[in-house]
Amino acid sequence: MAAAQTRIAATAVSDGAVISATGLTKLFPPDVTALAGVSLAVRPGEFVAVLGPSGAGKTTLFRCLTGLTPPDDGSVSIDGREIRRRHVFRGTRGDVALIFQQFNLIRRLTAIENVLVGRLARVATWRVLVRRFARADRQLALRCLDTVGLLDRAYTRADQLSGGQQQRVAIARALAQDATVILADEPVASLDPESAATVLECLRSAVAAGVAVVASLHQVEFARVYADRIVALRAGRIVEDAPAAQIDERTLELIYSKNGGAQA
Amino acid sequence: MATGAGAYPEPVIPWLSKSRLRLVAVLVLLAAFYSASWHLAKVDPAKLLSGLPKMASWTGKAWPPAMDELPVLLQRTGETIAMAAIGTTAAALLALPLSVLAARNVTPSMAVYYPARWFLNALRGVDSFVFALLFVAAVGLGPFAGVLGIALHTWGSTAKLWAEAIENIPLGPLEGAAVTGASRLKVLAFALLPDVAPSMVSVGLFWWEFNVRASTVLGVVGAGGIGQELKNSMDLLLFPRLLTILVLILVTVTVIDQTSAWLRRRLE
Repeated sequence: MAAAQTRIAATAVSDGAVISATGLTKLFPPDVTALAGVSLAVRPGEFVAVLGPSGAGKTTLFRCLTGLTPPDDGSVSIDGREIRRRHVFRGTRGDVALIFQQFNLIRRLTAIENVLVGRLARVATWRVLVRRFARADRQLALRCLDTVGLLDRAYTRADQLSGGQQQRVAIARALAQDATVILADEPVASLDPESAATVLECLRSAVAAGVAVVASLHQVEFARVYADRIVALRAGRIVEDAPAAQIDERTLELIYSKNGGAQA
Repeated sequence: MATGAGAYPEPVIPWLSKSRLRLVAVLVLLAAFYSASWHLAKVDPAKLLSGLPKMASWTGKAWPPAMDELPVLLQRTGETIAMAAIGTTAAALLALPLSVLAARNVTPSMAVYYPARWFLNALRGVDSFVFALLFVAAVGLGPFAGVLGIALHTWGSTAKLWAEAIENIPLGPLEGAAVTGASRLKVLAFALLPDVAPSMVSVGLFWWEFNVRASTVLGVVGAGGIGQELKNSMDLLLFPRLLTILVLILVTVTVIDQTSAWLRRRLE
């Protein structure tokens, strides 16, 4: 455990990170400790997979990283600036994009309109009210849809798309937003393996474009194939933070085994 | 199957149980309530029996319906539909911002939510008939007083139903749009509106239809429309004219009900 903590501290202070968390602690009284001093730093162009059994604190970590839940202790910085609690409607600054397990597209709008949601913060209010976007924004949205391989579905309503396609539209929206960080809480948990792979490939291409991706995953295999680095949570603590290639049976034992908690 | 020692135990309810006593108490209270209401409402079936022949004779006198004033009556019917249309539309425009403030999930703050709800409940609590009565005194006789009466009552009712429609919307898509950093107005206009628009239009049509029905009687307090002619004919006992008016109301209300129902079905 001492060795693990040294390693974690080393990454947390590393500079050049786009998003970093320091000592995040979150308690849900009376007796749940969702996070107990989690520190994490992610660099541009890095894909970090967060692993851990149910109840390990993954969702709480994501809600703290996005500011939707204020931590009891610790802080989160994006591009070196500390973020404060935000009400859902105050929004984030546009440089963080969120991907949700349930996609959260606007059902009655087309794919391209959903991608254009990523431009809302930068578009004049009157354009939003009359739903008339500038050509440059429309072209950008189409380019983002092309990146995720959905150019041919641009004018299809979101509720006519499959789950995997909807999640790719959500990624295109994040790209249209010019986000530097994409936070994805269980992005493929409700998808079949084939769609999941396509979605993760899309996230991979965002990483290639310099975006930092933090995604929680349930399948270790996906994490090994698509992520650069794996961070494992257990009972609110980071029990492993290592390059994806180094993950072996011993690590999995540490993360998932019944008595692993005692070890950690 | 075996009985006796092998039988499954069942709960034993004593004859004078708490729940039985409660049932008796409720029945006694209900009986008292209805007997008091019967007396307060001065229900007298004998009077109805003696009045029925009078009404029957009116029906006889009403035939054939008077057609000579049809153009005027049609214009009055038009007035009624117009009052309902303008009043409902004005109410809808006023209800749009209020419904956002009065929807728990998108309101900017609870300090706005509660006053907004109280205000809407107050508007809803006063019938358009009562509002029209006040406006006839304030702006004079005629359909405009009716428009104002309809607008105020419908404002409260529509905004409340719209707020409930907004509250039933899944928050996920709004969250998804809000976290891009867009302002509240943009998110509401772009992400919320498409989701709630069908139910909002449906509610709006319902109130228009309801207001056409309601405004047929607004004329009774002097607020214009076909109701005014209805009252005049009744006062002067012009039964053939009365019959024409009743048929006109029936046809108008039926056509508008059917049209609105058809439009609302198409929105599903």
